[in-house]
Amino acid sequence: MGKEQLLGTLDLLVLKTLSRGPMHGYGIVQRIQQVSEDELRVEEGSLYPALHRMEQAGWIGADWKDSETGRRAKYYRLTAAGRKRLAQEKENWSRVAEAVAKVLRFA
Amino acid sequence: MAFLKPFLAFFRKTKLEGELDDELQFHLEMRTQEHLAAGMSAEEARLAALRALGNLGSLKARTRDTWGFAWLEALLQDVRYGLRVLAKNPGFTVAAVMTLALGMGANTAIFSLANAFMFRPLPVKDAERLTVVAVQSKTDSDPGVISYLDHLEYRAGSPAVFTGMTGYAMSFTGLGYQGHADRLLVSYVPSNFFAMLGLHAALGRVINSGEGDAPKTGAVVVLGHSYWEKRFGGDPGVIGHTVTLDGNAATVIGVVPEEFHGPYNLVEMDAYAPLGMLGFGPDSGFFTSRADRDVHVLATLKPGVSVEQAQAALNLIGQRLAQQYPQADQGQRVRVFPEQIARPEPAVGDAMPLVVTVFFVMVGLVLAVACLNVANLLLARAATREKEMSVRAALGAGRMRLLRQLLIESMLLALAGGVGGAIAGNWVCRLLNGLRPLGGVPVRVAVAFDWRVFAYVAAVALAAGILAGLVPALRASRIDLNLALREGGRGLVGEPKRNWLRNGLVIAQVAGSLVVLVAAGLFTRSLTRAESIDLGFDPHNVLNVGFDPVLQGYDQPRAEAFFRELLRRARTLPGVESASLAYSIPLGIYNDGSRVYAEGQPLPASERVPGAGLNCVSPDYFTTLRMHMLEGRAFTDADTSTSQPVAIVNQTMAARLWPHHDAVGERFTYKSASGPYVTVVGVVHDPKTTGLLDVPGMFFYVPQTQNYKSTHVLQVRTSGPPESLTAAFEGLVRDLDPNMPVYDLMTMEQSVGGANGYFLFKAGAAFTGALGGLGLLLAIVGVYGVVSYTASRRRHEIGIRMALGAQRGSVFGLVIRQAAILVGAGVCIGLLAALACTRILASLLVGVSSYDPATYAGGTVLLVATALLACYIPARRATKVDPMVALRYE
Repeated sequence: MGKEQLLGTLDLLVLKTLSRGPMHGYGIVQRIQQVSEDELRVEEGSLYPALHRMEQAGWIGADWKDSETGRRAKYYRLTAAGRKRLAQEKENWSRVAEAVAKVLRFA
Repeated sequence: MAFLKPFLAFFRKTKLEGELDDELQFHLEMRTQEHLAAGMSAEEARLAALRALGNLGSLKARTRDTWGFAWLEALLQDVRYGLRVLAKNPGFTVAAVMTLALGMGANTAIFSLANAFMFRPLPVKDAERLTVVAVQSKTDSDPGVISYLDHLEYRAGSPAVFTGMTGYAMSFTGLGYQGHADRLLVSYVPSNFFAMLGLHAALGRVINSGEGDAPKTGAVVVLGHSYWEKRFGGDPGVIGHTVTLDGNAATVIGVVPEEFHGPYNLVEMDAYAPLGMLGFGPDSGFFTSRADRDVHVLATLKPGVSVEQAQAALNLIGQRLAQQYPQADQGQRVRVFPEQIARPEPAVGDAMPLVVTVFFVMVGLVLAVACLNVANLLLARAATREKEMSVRAALGAGRMRLLRQLLIESMLLALAGGVGGAIAGNWVCRLLNGLRPLGGVPVRVAVAFDWRVFAYVAAVALAAGILAGLVPALRASRIDLNLALREGGRGLVGEPKRNWLRNGLVIAQVAGSLVVLVAAGLFTRSLTRAESIDLGFDPHNVLNVGFDPVLQGYDQPRAEAFFRELLRRARTLPGVESASLAYSIPLGIYNDGSRVYAEGQPLPASERVPGAGLNCVSPDYFTTLRMHMLEGRAFTDADTSTSQPVAIVNQTMAARLWPHHDAVGERFTYKSASGPYVTVVGVVHDPKTTGLLDVPGMFFYVPQTQNYKSTHVLQVRTSGPPESLTAAFEGLVRDLDPNMPVYDLMTMEQSVGGANGYFLFKAGAAFTGALGGLGLLLAIVGVYGVVSYTASRRRHEIGIRMALGAQRGSVFGLVIRQAAILVGAGVCIGLLAALACTRILASLLVGVSSYDPATYAGGTVLLVATALLACYIPARRATKVDPMVALRYE
């Protein structure tokens, strides 16, 4: 996300990305970059601590699987708790976005 | 087993580490390939991929922190590191640990005592629901024993609130076996006593249900465990043997469990016998008179019933009794206390929580002063560790991590202090155990180190660790990296602010220790005042010895002959000025009393008959004790069993019964409402008989020849130190009868130092005095520490001042001024705090106001003087600064 990462959005982006199916860390970075058409770039140094934190929290699970290149990689997947969390984060985000939009329009 | 997860994860750690490495490696490979595809060289691609990930070490560390066991691993690391740091600074570590150990030792001691006195439940069934039921009569303000008949009514009327009610009447009893008698403290109990308390015999059996509840039945005795070991060498064969209790045969049926010492805390009960055994004694009215109050009542609350509910239920019974038996029970108020706060007597039930609070506040303050000392030491050391902290911060340790590290160090100090404190506290307890009142009752103060004390010490150590370490840790962990590293370790972090904090801590110490000092001073003054109370007799140069011919099975004529011969021989001892016999000694552990009816003053039925204390004495009694006769005469040898019955009353009794005229020549009766009458022949100045602080009640004396009692004390007034006569004195009784048990051989001064005399004052003054000294010492160390620290930090400045011509005197003043400001501020705050706090002491003090100006002034002067004296050393040292050296040092 450029240089200034919007605080707290990393979880939302990761969870949303994983809602399409299991993916490894590198894949998550690439996917977010692609979909946002290069506007958002996840800071790689923050991604792995965040993934492990969410794994500990039980929002995502992980399995070691063969990747598209044939090398074994750690694939993360969304859990039921993660799905709930995603819904919450989405809701939060829309509220904030709406609020910011209002300020931009009327303030 | 969720809490085990981090521990299990801890052992899987290497696997997780490997997986994280694999995961990151995969990421790097993918990214490198992407860069290669974009046309970078192999080396460029690899470096770019690494750069994107950032600091790998930090990334791994942050990832690891999210694993469940991170805290555990870090904790172990911090503990190891902390131990190394502390070991490297032995001087600092020893000072801090010793300081904390002193503070915690005082806490442990107080807690162990409170635990022994109050917290540890009796080893009986449902101890947490056990209550003491006591009555408070109109004439006696203290709640206490209940009459046997009333106790039956309370018991019958309260099954809704109590699962059971029992009681015990304590009495000294002679136990004779094979020609030798011991004087024992015996509990006479209803037959439900052991069943209600859930006690089974360690040997033989206990008293059966219904056994010996009626007068003159139940000739059995259950021995206390320690008496059984002492007298019978723990021989199981004693069961079934016959002994005598005050001359009446009784069969030994059992021994109570070792851990049960009796229902009366602090006293080792020697034996238990059925209430019915009391019926064999002289007819005392125990079973028939509601005015004869002798039963200590215990009751177990039903589960879910509160003390208040039980109180309300008993109030109803009390009101009914007052209506039914106005003569004995009118104006009587029944009270229910949880057993633990009614120790040793329900009379303390209202004051005990206060006493305990006062002591806990005092030791708490001392501990706080100790913690502040250590906090100051830590602050001083933090200054020298700035560089270390900066380096650790630069290497990626977060503020929380530094904070935790520092807190763990202070926790380690506190734990070591706690161990030291437990040892010190245990030692103090043993000292205090030795401070028990002399003679009389078989006192048992078992100050033991049980789990409660352990839990308390652990909690205090934890609190002390946080209290002492938190502020310094917060301070030290807040680091401006650039500034600290650039300045090369010369302490510059918030210097003025830190001084402010350190000074604040010292001021708080001074204030806290002044409060403790003032409290100690008040207790000491209170003791001095108590010692100058007019006892109404002269305790100096008097020797007492107790004996009881009934224990040897003497009948009245034989006992009276024994008394006469004993007195005759005592008078011939060299150094004896006068000798006399008495039933009880003033401020001793037992007393007799009776209802008194003045002749020609019939009382309305609604009014209670007044009670008075009573002593039976021989003619020279008033001379031996140097009591002051105000009117009339003392007893003489002419007052015999066949002459006119006479009495001597105290001033209070004379004034109350005959307020309008001379008491001498008046008559009253104390055996029954209708006589026989005794004639007052003298009035004596009020002596203190039951307690130092008691308002004098009515008291009278009758000649021992006219009111036979077997229990006696021989008292002699000596011309020299009474201690020198003890051996001859004991021999006197033994010569007459080698088997006569002799007890409580001590001087009158020792005797008035007992539980009803000065004991509590002395113990209180000694203990608070020790605490005051400790608080003072710690505060002085604190003041000294901060002043000498500041002085050493100001060497440079002082060097410049001296180079510019400052005189030694002004440098000296500079340092002392700082100390004076600190101490002055502390004293002001301390005085205000003491004024606010010591008010709660008021009810525990005798003859001294809690605002006593002399005590406040004394404490202040002592504190200020010693603090400034301690600062003399750093001040002197500062004047010795060589300007050249100080300047070059920079």
